Amino acid sequence: MDNLFIEGTKQTPEVKFEANTGILEIKGRSIPENTFEFFNPVLLWLEEYSKAPVEKTIVKVNLEYFNTSSSKYILEIFKRVKTVFTDGHNVLVEWYYEEDDEEMMETGEDYEDVSGLPFELISVEED
Amino acid sequence: MNVYTKFRSMMDNHIILSFKGEITSDIITMVLQIMESRLEAEEAKSSVKKKIFNILVECMQNLYHHAEAEVEAEITTRKAMLEMYFDDSYYNIITGNYMKNEEVEKLKSRLDKVNSLTKEELRGFYREILDNNLISKKGGANLGMIDMARKSGEKLEYHFTKVNDSLTFFDLKVRISNKKKGKKGQEETLQSVS
Repeated sequence: MDNLFIEGTKQTPEVKFEANTGILEIKGRSIPENTFEFFNPVLLWLEEYSKAPVEKTIVKVNLEYFNTSSSKYILEIFKRVKTVFTDGHNVLVEWYYEEDDEEMMETGEDYEDVSGLPFELISVEED
Repeated sequence: MNVYTKFRSMMDNHIILSFKGEITSDIITMVLQIMESRLEAEEAKSSVKKKIFNILVECMQNLYHHAEAEVEAEITTRKAMLEMYFDDSYYNIITGNYMKNEEVEKLKSRLDKVNSLTKEELRGFYREILDNNLISKKGGANLGMIDMARKSGEKLEYHFTKVNDSLTFFDLKVRISNKKKGKKGQEETLQSVS
């Protein structure tokens, strides 16, 4: 299947999903008013991917900001990936946060708890 | 009031931003751009900047999604207000918008609930709503008030003013301290904005 690449904007994150490597990367900020419009193609891609995933899927989430409306869709992404995990494949979520950003770290813990996926919380130095 | 008096009063009240009008997508983008460069210049701690930016996004998107139209002299507008000022080591973000009278009770009970919870309880409530609620037709996740309360670490201050048989004016104030707990727990005072 095709890879999914969406360039980042001031309101929406960069999305780089590679079907052949299983590396699914989201980074930047996600604060659009119309979250459905942005996330729907992402979720549709994941639905296809989950039918024939590679042996190990790594989801890299490196977000600076996101609005509460995006937070629902981020959970939807994890729920799609969860089906890959429950089908017996290897899945790891790498959740990146700036070392000073306690909230983003806690949000990572919230998603780990709610999604039931294996998470690695990774602190990065600020720019 | 002459313009100089008005200018002085904005200075003395440490007004950072004051806006009245319809909140459109373009306005949100512009305000965020202005605030980003302003905070970049004036606020040292990246964590405080992030809190302000996040809360500002939620506030404006609330206005964008929920402000109710008002009909005045046969012209319908979705006028709202947004103000931000600095006061006694707190950034204050104020929003005001019309809403339908019949929606007041639901919003008020959500605000009262959020204000009654401790930090840990808020986190639990957030997880519960995140996992269970669907996105509303207005695009809301039902998480806005919880998220703002979590990020600000303060109670949300609000008022409802009944305007007529169908509309109520709702105003909300969210406060963000520019003091941050240091790594050892002591408070550090950051540079203030005036």
